[in-house]
Amino acid sequence: MTSYGYAGKILRLDMTNRKAIAIDTEPYRRWGGGHGMGSALFWDFCKDKTITDGRHPANVCCVVTSPLCGTIVPSAGGRCEVVGVGVGQYPVSWFTRTNFGGRFSTMLKYAGWDAIVIEGKADSPVWVDIRNSKVIFHDAQDLWGKDTWATQLEIRDRIKIRRGTKTHWQDLQALPLAESDESSGEDVGRTTQKPAILCIGSAGENQTCHAALIHDAGNGAGQGGLGAVWGSKNLKAISVIGTGGIKVADPKTLLKARMITKEKYVTNWQAPDFQAWTRIGGLPKPIVQAAMPTDERRPQSCQGCINGCRSRYNVGYGNESACQETFWYGPYVRKVAKSRAEDTEINLKGADIVQKYGLNSFVLQPGLHWLEHLYEEGVLGPGRSIPSDLPWELIGTLDFAEKIVHALSTRKDIGADLADGWVQAALKWGREEDLHTGALQFSYWGVPEHGYDPRAELEWGYGSLMGDRDTNTHCFNYIFTNVSAAFAFGKPLRIGAEEMAKLHAKKMSPYAKDRPEVLDYSDANMYSEAVAQTVRWQQHYCRFYKNSALYCDLKWPDFVNTNVPDLEGATAASDAGEHVFWNAVTGDTLSFEDGIEIGRRIWNLDNAIWVLQGRHRDMVHFAPYVYKTVYNKGEVFPFFMWTCRDDKGKWYYKDLMGRSLDRAKVDEWKTIFYQLEGWDIKTGWPKRSTLEKMDMGFVADALASAGRLGEEAS
Amino acid sequence: MNYSLSQPSETLSRKILSPVPFKARFPAGRLKPPVGIMPGDVRSLPELHLFLEPDNASLPGINLKALPEWIEVSIGDKELAEAIRAIVDTTVNYVEDCLRVHEVVRYRLDQAHGIIKETKV
Repeated sequence: MTSYGYAGKILRLDMTNRKAIAIDTEPYRRWGGGHGMGSALFWDFCKDKTITDGRHPANVCCVVTSPLCGTIVPSAGGRCEVVGVGVGQYPVSWFTRTNFGGRFSTMLKYAGWDAIVIEGKADSPVWVDIRNSKVIFHDAQDLWGKDTWATQLEIRDRIKIRRGTKTHWQDLQALPLAESDESSGEDVGRTTQKPAILCIGSAGENQTCHAALIHDAGNGAGQGGLGAVWGSKNLKAISVIGTGGIKVADPKTLLKARMITKEKYVTNWQAPDFQAWTRIGGLPKPIVQAAMPTDERRPQSCQGCINGCRSRYNVGYGNESACQETFWYGPYVRKVAKSRAEDTEINLKGADIVQKYGLNSFVLQPGLHWLEHLYEEGVLGPGRSIPSDLPWELIGTLDFAEKIVHALSTRKDIGADLADGWVQAALKWGREEDLHTGALQFSYWGVPEHGYDPRAELEWGYGSLMGDRDTNTHCFNYIFTNVSAAFAFGKPLRIGAEEMAKLHAKKMSPYAKDRPEVLDYSDANMYSEAVAQTVRWQQHYCRFYKNSALYCDLKWPDFVNTNVPDLEGATAASDAGEHVFWNAVTGDTLSFEDGIEIGRRIWNLDNAIWVLQGRHRDMVHFAPYVYKTVYNKGEVFPFFMWTCRDDKGKWYYKDLMGRSLDRAKVDEWKTIFYQLEGWDIKTGWPKRSTLEKMDMGFVADALASAGRLGEEAS
Repeated sequence: MNYSLSQPSETLSRKILSPVPFKARFPAGRLKPPVGIMPGDVRSLPELHLFLEPDNASLPGINLKALPEWIEVSIGDKELAEAIRAIVDTTVNYVEDCLRVHEVVRYRLDQAHGIIKETKV
C-alpha cells in the first residue's frame, strides 16, 4: 500500500531472532500516524499489557512518523513519536510517549517505512542498518560504551557514506554490507544525504530512568526513559538512509496554505512585530536558554520547520541543543561563573554532556535542586546518611556537571539509587517528607514538575494527571508567559482577558466552542466542568494533531494571532488550519473536529492500555505537596497571570500564585472528567458503550477479558 | 550612576562579598519560556548581581519587596537595603526595578571590592 503521505510499510524488528518483517501500513491508517499509530501497534504486538517496567522483554517500542513528515507543512515535517512502556515512574511506569525532531522521521519515510516496531530482546548488542528496503542487523559489541556522538560518527564511517553534492551522489548499492548479507543486485538508489541515526549512550546502556534517545547532535527523546528500553533490548542504534520521496495528494492546496501561513499569519518581514502574540506567526528565533555564545552562528531546525530553534556555532559547543538542556545547570552555573561568557560556555557544554551520555536533563531541573538541598542540610555527601563522593562543593562547575551526569548515566554513586526512579530513591533514603513539603517537586507519576505549577496552571497539571507523564503541551501556557511578560515590562496588553478567553473558545470545538468560561482559572472555577472540557480538548487535540500528525508543540495551536486584523490564529482556520494541511497531504477530507475525534479515540486506546497495566482512579493523584503547600507568591517568580473572572463575572488577568489544590475537590473533578469521557466514575475504566461508539469494540473485549471494563450504570 | 551610599567598612565589605549559609539563602527563580519557571536561590550579593544581569532569553524571578530585609538581616548591609527599598517604593515596572537593583548592587560591590583592595595594599 502506498497512499498519499504514507510510505506504505511498517518495519517490525524482531530483536530476539534478529529478523526484519515488513507489514502493511493500511490497517493502522485510521489512527493517523505518530502516537495513534504507535498505540495501535503496541496494542497489537505487545502480548503482555500488564507490564509496568519498560525494561521487561515483552515491552514493545514503536518509533513512528506522520504523513506530514518530509513535507512543507509548517513546523510539522520533522518530528518523530516514540511510544512504549516507560521506566522509573511512580507508582508504576505507564505506557507512555516521547518525541524528537531532526530528520530521522523524514529519512525513514524516504526509505519506505512509516514506523518501526521494536520487539523482543537481542542476546547481545546490535545496531540496525536500514537502507531503503534493506534491513541489516549488525553486531554492536564494539559500539557499546561509546557516547551518542561517537556512535553516530562510527556508524557513518562503517557505512562508508560520504557527503554528497549535486554532482557527487552516493550510490547506496556501492556501500559495504555485512559479511553475511548478499547484494540482491537491484538498484537501491542514490542520495546526497548522510544517514539519520537514532541511538543511546551510557544512560540507555545502563537502563537508567533518565535515558534518552539521541539523534544527530541535539535531538533527544527524553521523557519516559525509552532509552533504557532500547538498552534492555540490546539495541544501540538504528541508522536509516532512504532515496525515495513522499506523494502529496494535493500539492496546489498544500502550497497555497503554506503561502497563506507566510503572508497572513506570520509577522511581516518588512515591518516585523517583535512583540506579536502568536505561535505560528512569531519571528524565527533560537530557543537557547543561555546567552548566545557568539554571533557567528547558523540556525538549525527540524526538517521543514519555519523557526530554527537551534543553532550551530563557530565556537564548537552547544551545537543543535535547545530549550531545557541548555539551562538544566543554569542556576548553579550563575553562582560560579565569572562572566556572562563563562556562564554560557558552561551551560552549553553542559548541554553537550547530557546529549553525549544520552541523558534526559529535565529530571535535573527540580532534581538537582533537591539533591543540593540534601547536601546543604548535611544529609547527602561523603560519610553522610546518603553517601555520595561527588564533589558537591564544586556544583556549578563543568567538572561537577560531567561527574553527576556520569554518575546518573552509569549507576555510580547516588546514580545507583536514582536510576530506577527519583521518588523510589526518596522513599529508599527515608525522605518521604520531601514529597509532602515540596522539597522534591515531582508532581505527577514520579516525574518532575515542568516549570508550570499545577496549582496555578490547571490544564497542565490536570492533563498530566489524567495522562501518563508531564504533559509538556504548551497549547495554552503562552497566555501566562505573554501576559506575565507584559506586566513585568509594564507594556500594554495586546489582548484583554475577556477577548483572550473568547478567541480561544472560538477554536475549541467541539467541547468548548464559544464557552469562554473554560479558560476561567479562578479559584471559583478551578474544579469545574468547564475546566475539565479544556483538559479534554487539549488531550484530544494533542493526541491527534501534535502527537500523531506531529505538529510542533512550540508552534501549534495558534489560537490568537496579533498579525491578523481579527486576531484569530491559524488553528482550525479554513485557509491554513491543521486539517487543511493534513487533507492536502493525505487526500482525506477531515474537518478540524474530525481530527479532535481521532484524538479522542487515541486517548481512549491509551487509557485502555493504562487500565490493563493496573490503573484505577484511586491511583490518580498529585504528589502530596501539591495539596499540602501553596505555590508561594514571590518565592520563585513574582506573578503568574491567567485569565480569570471575578465574582461579578468580569474578566481580568489574575496572579494565581499563592494557592494549593484541594485533594477532595480534585477527586470530585476527576468524577466530572470521567463522566465527560464516558468512563466508569468509580474506576476510571472505559465503558463498552463509549468504546463501541468509536468502533473500538475490540478494546472493550480485551478489557472485559481482563475483568477491567467499566460498568455501564456508573 | 551615583548613589548616596557611604563607603562600607572593611568588615562590611567582606560580608558584602561573602556567601551566607544555605539556610539564609534568598529564593530566586527564573522564567525561561518554554521551559517555565526554574527554582533557584542566591546566597551572596555577587550572586544576586549576576542573577539580575539582563539577558534576552529569560526573566529573573525575585521578590523585590522581600529583598531589602534579606540584605539587611542576612548580609548586614542596612544602607544597601534602604537604597533598594527606595527603588521598590518608586516602582516603574518589575523589569525596570530589577535593572535599577542590579545597578545599585553593582555599585555596592565595586565599593566593597575597592575597600578590600585598599586593605591588601
